[in-house]
Amino acid sequence: MGIIEIKNVTKEFRVLNRREGLKGSIKDLFSRNYKTVRAVDNVSMTIEQGEIVGYLGPNGAGKSTTIKMMTGVLEPTSGEILTNGIIPYENRARNAQEIGVVFGQRSQLWWALPLVESFKILKDIYQISDENYDGMIKLYSSLVDIEPLLHKPVRQMSLGQRTLSDILAAFLHDPKIVFLDEPTIGLDVSMKSKIRTLIQALNREKNTTVILTTHDMGDVDALCRRIVIIDKGKMLYDNDIEHLKSFFGSYRTLKIRTGGELKEQAESIKKELPDFPVTADDEWISVLVDEEKSKVIDVLGQLQKSHKIKDMQLEEISTEEVIKKIYEEGVA
Amino acid sequence: MKRKSLRFYLRIYFRILAQDLKSKMSYRADFIISTIGMIFTNIAGFVSFWILFRNFPSINGWGYYEMLFLYGFSLVAITPVQCLFDNNWSLRMAVYSGDFIKYCFRPINIFFYYQSEVFDIKGLGQLAFGLGTLIYSWTKIGLGFTPLILLKMTVFLITASLVMIAMQNAAAATCFWIMNSFYVLDLVTRFKDYAKYPITIFSPVFRFIFTFLMPIAFIAYYPSLVILRPDEVPLLSWLSPFIGAFFFWLSYKFWMHGALKYNGTGS
Amino acid sequence: MKLKKYLTLTKAGIMESLQFRLGTFVMAVGNLLYLIVVYYLWKAIYASAGSDTVNGMTFSDTLIYLVLATALFNFMEMYTVWEMGRSIQSGKIVLELLKPMKYRNYLFWTYSGQFVTNFFFTFLPTFIVVAIVTHGAVHMGLNLLFFIISVIMAISLNYSINFLVGTICVYTESIWGINIMKQVIVLLLSGATIPLAFFPEPFRTITHYLPFQSIYNAPLSILLNAHPEPEELMVTLGTQLLWCIGMAVLSKLFWKVSLRQITVNGG
Repeated sequence: MGIIEIKNVTKEFRVLNRREGLKGSIKDLFSRNYKTVRAVDNVSMTIEQGEIVGYLGPNGAGKSTTIKMMTGVLEPTSGEILTNGIIPYENRARNAQEIGVVFGQRSQLWWALPLVESFKILKDIYQISDENYDGMIKLYSSLVDIEPLLHKPVRQMSLGQRTLSDILAAFLHDPKIVFLDEPTIGLDVSMKSKIRTLIQALNREKNTTVILTTHDMGDVDALCRRIVIIDKGKMLYDNDIEHLKSFFGSYRTLKIRTGGELKEQAESIKKELPDFPVTADDEWISVLVDEEKSKVIDVLGQLQKSHKIKDMQLEEISTEEVIKKIYEEGVA
Repeated sequence: MKRKSLRFYLRIYFRILAQDLKSKMSYRADFIISTIGMIFTNIAGFVSFWILFRNFPSINGWGYYEMLFLYGFSLVAITPVQCLFDNNWSLRMAVYSGDFIKYCFRPINIFFYYQSEVFDIKGLGQLAFGLGTLIYSWTKIGLGFTPLILLKMTVFLITASLVMIAMQNAAAATCFWIMNSFYVLDLVTRFKDYAKYPITIFSPVFRFIFTFLMPIAFIAYYPSLVILRPDEVPLLSWLSPFIGAFFFWLSYKFWMHGALKYNGTGS
Repeated sequence: MKLKKYLTLTKAGIMESLQFRLGTFVMAVGNLLYLIVVYYLWKAIYASAGSDTVNGMTFSDTLIYLVLATALFNFMEMYTVWEMGRSIQSGKIVLELLKPMKYRNYLFWTYSGQFVTNFFFTFLPTFIVVAIVTHGAVHMGLNLLFFIISVIMAISLNYSINFLVGTICVYTESIWGINIMKQVIVLLLSGATIPLAFFPEPFRTITHYLPFQSIYNAPLSILLNAHPEPEELMVTLGTQLLWCIGMAVLSKLFWKVSLRQITVNGG
């Protein structure tokens, strides 16, 4: 049995339909109509101890709702959830002992105090033995430069330091599962990589299961072997990331640089190749080619007739593009 | 997992409470200004009382010092709610912003965890003010300091505190359902100012309301009767410790019900 | 169209406050209960006094005065100090300063929508109930017109005082402390909790030289006095006007000076 078992879980919310305008506000005062929104729709999955799972989906797809159900904050409308073999919403406190959570950008640390004070409170709350606590701090200092953080009040930390501290705090009681909700949002490149390395190391050292939601495919590439994709409450995909890419393996991106003004060139290429998605950034014009339908070399040949190609690159499809395609078109 | 012991909770309580005091130390100017504000409030309350009853020797058969006793009693009785349950005032914002969810992720009781986070030292000034008033009126009435009366006093002060705490918990918890619960909390706070008047001034209908529905009569009136009018104590006074405990339990259940129903806003 | 942009804010404010249906309801019920407490308390006080008139005011005078003072308070209270304090502390103030109107006006007109809803939901119903219950103790004549003029000046003066106190939040983080001091002083010295007529002599004279009595005492005494001496009326309204102008100038100046503090330190 997996550490997390989710079977046919559905969650519905009742939301108020607000009417528009001043008249609508007055009407709302006397009568209200509600509608039922299905945030999570018949989702099932099994997660094994020690996995790092990327839980992906566009905004409002139902990711947070699923996580809130797994942490015991929300009760599912129907279906079953078991974490560590217990039903989370019936045993919220018992479940909480075995999980760690970093939720969005909301720090769970004590704002005005140095980090070490927060750690001490958490040590008491989770009843961590001195031995385990010291072991954990030792582990932390081998992974990151923790000393300067420990004695700094949280409110004086940079966003990156705070996120790092929040992650350390979530792992402190050696939980079986850690939920990370967009841990790298708003961070610079070096901090992102630092945090990814930390998560990976903690997962390896402690065999902690990590459920990661993110919009940053760099996180996914660096950390997850398995991804689950959800949209409008429905599960779209649950498998290896490699498997996913093989779905779209026949896609290649042809990147070219031409003479003349880039935007104009891109527009004219768009007209010439109506069947291919064409995009442009500051340097390159990209054409997405499905090799089952047409050959890259043919496309290139056609382009060469009307444009002077200065430089070109051929790229495998990136995770980012795969995910984007899934959000837009679903799994073929 | 084993059930958590009282000792565990006490330890956590003082640990978290100590962090709050440490945090407050880092905002010293705020602390001083708030304390002055609190003293102002108490002085103004006392001045209003004095202006009002200076004109009238007695109200409804209650003399000046007896009224003063009720006043002091109610001040002392609202100290615990002021000191220990002040975080109720921030509940609305925590729920509104979604920050409340952090309390749901810890393996301890949510209500306990939430309330332990703030200790309002300003309340101690109020306690001193209340005790002063109480002792002054006590000696003026000539009640005497016997162990029995002190025991009664302690029990009934705790009773009154429980009722006050219950009312505030319930009022704060409304924020789990309605948006601007500030008005509810504000209203209850204003009501406690009226707790210091003898309930006999009201008509029977409102006596019932203020006894059972909005139990402000238990904050000062019923408990004080035991001390002030030992010969004519109604049954409700003797029952008030149990009623206080019951109201507290009820408000706790209500608060927790709201907290568990809460599911965080946004994504 | 200058007026139009202000009225848009008013309309948005009305819509926003209507969104909170339950809150509005709770507020209305709460106020009613609160007024009932006031009613019984003063009834008991007058019954104990043994005479119909105390300090020149009859029971119904006092009642109308206090009930309408509460209604006026609910109508005029804008929580400006809180709003400004939060805005300054969070740095949101910088965005608000970018709005194409003066911050002082922006804040006022954002609230004006609540004036409208509060007027219809709390003040008007209270006024009508009071007028009916007291069987014409409220004189319906020219005094109503003067009352309205006086209330408008009271709103302006109250806002200036609030704005002045709110500006202090540029210098300190203690919003609660600052606000409670203001509230306590204004409510007591303006006669909102106890009519100024009940104040003992030296106090009463002092309050007449302070701006606060122009907020509650002035409009209410104008309303209650069915046949005022023209001279007396002019003095009351004139004093109000002077305070209005004085405080508006003072609060604007203080804001102007303090604004430099924000722009220099970046809020």
